[in-house]
Amino acid sequence: MGFEKEQNLRVLQLCFIGKILSGFTHEVKNHLAFIKESVGLIGDLMESKKSLSKQDLQENLTILHSIDEQIGKTSELCSYLNRFSHRMDYPMCTFSVNESLEELIVLINRFAHQKRIGLEKDFQKNLPMIYSDPSRIQLIIFSLIEEMINKYDKNSRIVIKTESLKDSLMVQITPKGNVVTSVGETRLSSFEILQDVIRQLGGNLFQDDKEVKITLPLSEQALTETN
Amino acid sequence: MTDIKVLLVDDEVEFASALSERLRLRSYEAKAIYRAEDAIPFVKSDKPDVVLLDLKMPGMDGIEILEAIKQFDPTIEVIILTGHGDTESADKGIKTGAFDYIMKPVDIGELITKIEQAKKKKNSR
Repeated sequence: MGFEKEQNLRVLQLCFIGKILSGFTHEVKNHLAFIKESVGLIGDLMESKKSLSKQDLQENLTILHSIDEQIGKTSELCSYLNRFSHRMDYPMCTFSVNESLEELIVLINRFAHQKRIGLEKDFQKNLPMIYSDPSRIQLIIFSLIEEMINKYDKNSRIVIKTESLKDSLMVQITPKGNVVTSVGETRLSSFEILQDVIRQLGGNLFQDDKEVKITLPLSEQALTETN
Repeated sequence: MTDIKVLLVDDEVEFASALSERLRLRSYEAKAIYRAEDAIPFVKSDKPDVVLLDLKMPGMDGIEILEAIKQFDPTIEVIILTGHGDTESADKGIKTGAFDYIMKPVDIGELITKIEQAKKKKNSR
């Protein structure tokens, strides 16, 4: 199979994964909806029938409330995963960078949490929407954050900041902590790949010892809409 | 019973029956139907005040049902139930005349507020 066909197959594979994920999260949310209503109904019935003592009723309602909270958290995660899977629907579209980063941070938080590294948001409010490839931008930000997670000591922090500039938008990723591994050759080559992708999207990717900065162009169409 | 008739249209039988039972416990006259095809005949015979409508059901598109309800009686308020992570289809529903939408899993307090607001709007017509 030639390179181009291989690439096309890769794109089809990504779309396939995206569709399966979106269908799956939709189904899970349906099941969660049923569990939530059943938990709520048990609570309603217990309160209406008055067959339990006040203390027992309170204890049972507290348990039901904690189940309800867990359902809420799971449902929220599913919503983020569902939105993430839909990012692959269109290669180029107008979208909110803040929303796509928020989603990414929620979904990769576990990787950071396992190393006791905190991911912090510092998003500019009313950031203009941009016309670009959300899935690729998420991939690039993920790769950069993942590398920092591997490179930094526990109890470090990684701050993800967004800011609008004159004709562009900037995402700045700043690690705050101690480095535990050195930078290797493989990392350098993958950084060049990320740089190429950002250039293809009309932006730039810079890195120094302290931080990584990505600029992305604001299209004329996107400038009229804000998130 | 309150004077609000609520019809829940959702093919997720267990979800719809639990939710309608919860509404009945709060004194709403709530009924649930589980097949998209049954929605319009039921609306015509039962004339609910508020319809809670799932947009994604097998057999008939939720937007088509919404259009048919509004064509039959524009004063019937429709609240869309959606399990989707994005709000794209719900926004389409609002543009088609739905009163509002609510995401599944549903917060019963939020749903009650929306039902009451919908009824208020119906009464003000």
